[in-house]
Amino acid sequence: MIEIGEEEISLDRMIQRVRRNEAGAVVSFLGTVRDDGILGMEVEAFRDPALSEMEAIRQEAMSRFSLTAAEVSHRTGRLAVGESILAIVCSAAHREEAFSGCRYILEELKARAPLWKKEISSDGGGHWVEGHGR
Amino acid sequence: MKIKVLAFAAFGEILGREREVELEEEASVKDLLDELASIVPGFREAAFEPSGILRDYVLLMVNRKRIDPERDLSRILVEGDELAIFPPLAGG
Repeated sequence: MIEIGEEEISLDRMIQRVRRNEAGAVVSFLGTVRDDGILGMEVEAFRDPALSEMEAIRQEAMSRFSLTAAEVSHRTGRLAVGESILAIVCSAAHREEAFSGCRYILEELKARAPLWKKEISSDGGGHWVEGHGR
Repeated sequence: MKIKVLAFAAFGEILGREREVELEEEASVKDLLDELASIVPGFREAAFEPSGILRDYVLLMVNRKRIDPERDLSRILVEGDELAIFPPLAGG
């Protein structure tokens, strides 16, 4: 499942959904808002193109790394320090494929999915994080 | 003709997230960007170099498909087209 939304991410539920009897490994990645002297972050998405790109990346990872299942959930809206931004969960027969698939989805998403983050400072001002994806 | 403009991140703050722009028939993407620069304060400085060239961090989609700002600014728009403008991607 690919999701973009404001709701808190349930990593447990994502893990349950990718478990398979033929999968001996489940790898998860959780990106969170780091305290760099900020109050939080605001995350914005160009929703439909972002969902399409994330689904394309998920399918690439499924075939390149022989994953048995993969899910990606990206949050939008105002997030406080410590809250989850992004979760990726991959299952595969063996750990190498599961780790590689998870890493692939993460790096490709950062480079290709139309999403942006703004750091909110304690004085209420904001600063858009400089992106590298094109 | 009317063209819908969607803008994200810093460009969303300058242009508003969504607006409609009225253009002459056969106007190009460049004509649309020039029109935005003439009607929205701050957009010209944000999107164009002083020489008038589009800054390299301006990314564009027409009807949800990426276009190449070096090659496709002369693309002719038609009624109902949608232009999206945004800076480099920064999700994850």
